[in-house]
Amino acid sequence: MSDLPRRLQLKFAMPSDPRYLPVVRGTIGPLAALIGWDEADCLAITLALDEALANVIRHAYNNRPDGLIELECRECAEGLEIILLDNGNTPDRAKICARKVGCDQAGGLGTHIIKDVMDTVSYEVSPEGNRFVATKKLRRTP
Amino acid sequence: MKISVRDVGNAKVVEVDGDVDLGTSPALRRTLFDALPRVARLALNLGAIRYIDSSGIATLIEVLKDSQRQNKEFVLFGLSPAVQEVFRLTHVIRIFRVFATEQEALEAA
Repeated sequence: MSDLPRRLQLKFAMPSDPRYLPVVRGTIGPLAALIGWDEADCLAITLALDEALANVIRHAYNNRPDGLIELECRECAEGLEIILLDNGNTPDRAKICARKVGCDQAGGLGTHIIKDVMDTVSYEVSPEGNRFVATKKLRRTP
Repeated sequence: MKISVRDVGNAKVVEVDGDVDLGTSPALRRTLFDALPRVARLALNLGAIRYIDSSGIATLIEVLKDSQRQNKEFVLFGLSPAVQEVFRLTHVIRIFRVFATEQEALEAA
């Protein structure tokens, strides 16, 4: 019994195929609700993760559906940590930019959403591949 | 995602049911760009959309810009709570003409 995790941890290995995105969306929302976020925050977190996965599919794998994406969603002491790992093209940091708020540009929306919703966002190149890490703190009301 | 298109006078009304995401937004884009040149006003019902991501929002922005180039009206109506929340997060609602009902969307000057 002592080996059981004390907090929920979800791991997915999924192809870089948009058809699988609804499966992930259907999982992260209930996890966020379980941790304690309200409905609007659960949608926002779901959207942020969906946008991060879409970025991997579009930019790391150039819309190829046969790439591997490893996803880990971890309930942590302060809230939620999301980790994505892929073996596609390394993201060009200069091109990872959020659009200006309220403008009518079609591009950059996804990055804007991720940065707006999550508290911390980082992109790293590790020996295992491209690593995206995002965290969100649960602000508990007294 | 299911899409249907119907004629109402000089306008076309596009109904979308389901999720609009990276996998499904290209079909919505094709439908809207195909319908736009044929009408004076294109009205999109967003009431039955359960989820929309940035690729869906980007599609709407592209259609809006094209409608402005063609002197057409592209209007939205019946935004579901999920769509309203994504519009709030992306701060794009002010660039669209948004109405509560189909009648208002079709009759607005």
